Amino acid sequence: MELVKIKQLLDAYFEGTTSLAEEKLLRDYFSKDEVDTDLLQYQPIFKGLKAAKAERSERTFNFGEPKAKTIKTYWYSVAAMLIVAIGVGAFYFTQPQYTQEEKEALAAFEESKKAMLLLSENLNRGAEQLNLVEQFQNTKDKIFE
Amino acid sequence: MEKTEFISTIMPFKDKLYRLAKRILVSKDEAEDAVQEVFFKLWNGKQQIGNYKNPEAFAITMTKNYCLDRLKSKQASNLKIVHSNFQTSENIEENFEANDGVALVFKIMETLPEQQRIVLQLRDVEQFEFSEIAEMLESNETAVRVTLSRARKTVREAMIKNYNYGIG
Repeated sequence: MELVKIKQLLDAYFEGTTSLAEEKLLRDYFSKDEVDTDLLQYQPIFKGLKAAKAERSERTFNFGEPKAKTIKTYWYSVAAMLIVAIGVGAFYFTQPQYTQEEKEALAAFEESKKAMLLLSENLNRGAEQLNLVEQFQNTKDKIFE
Repeated sequence: MEKTEFISTIMPFKDKLYRLAKRILVSKDEAEDAVQEVFFKLWNGKQQIGNYKNPEAFAITMTKNYCLDRLKSKQASNLKIVHSNFQTSENIEENFEANDGVALVFKIMETLPEQQRIVLQLRDVEQFEFSEIAEMLESNETAVRVTLSRARKTVREAMIKNYNYGIG
């Protein structure tokens, strides 16, 4: 491979216009030991890029559902359901409980209270009129002293 | 899709996904976590991956997006870990300690913007065609070429600077 060709390829490489085959030529050229001193500075780039492809992970990766995760979300929903159940239950049980009979009795009590109020109101109105009688008494006392 | 079939679809490019994740996230452990996460996602969407004409490109796009998201959330929460401080086992960079030049290339690649790093990884390390890279990055060939050219030139300049410094 003549030097001129490699230099041309290098220029094209940095412009991003080389094909994969041309890039392979460059990699092959720079992986050799006899590299022209003018181009020696580029050698680490191509050696590095080639070395980067050799890297791999030793970890064995799992497939399928991550177990820990599903258990966690399952317990979240159980906890949420419990909280809602306790909330609803607490609300329900703190409310006073009446049987049908008691409810009727309560309604009757309310009704009679209303009736009593009405009665007392009317009584008070009657009592107001008594003030006039009292005034009449006063005037009469003044006259027949 | 059966599990064995799924694994035989994914396995051939597992290392490529790992290398891409490591190029973006730098840390070996984080890259492995990212690949694991991508595998879960692929498995959960396994009906879909059969429909893609190119599962490899699909997986690479997924890995790229996941790693960029990880980077973003890390920066957002100010949890930037400087990985050059601690030794991770069997890091490939260590093999090149004697050969300063190659180690330097890895260092320079870490300083590139993410998009340039990704394009350089996919083209110069994994040797994908421009059309494939454009598909993976949801971009077009011209944009990929421009990004690649910038990345290569940045590496070159940094290398030359160092090379001249080494001589002088």
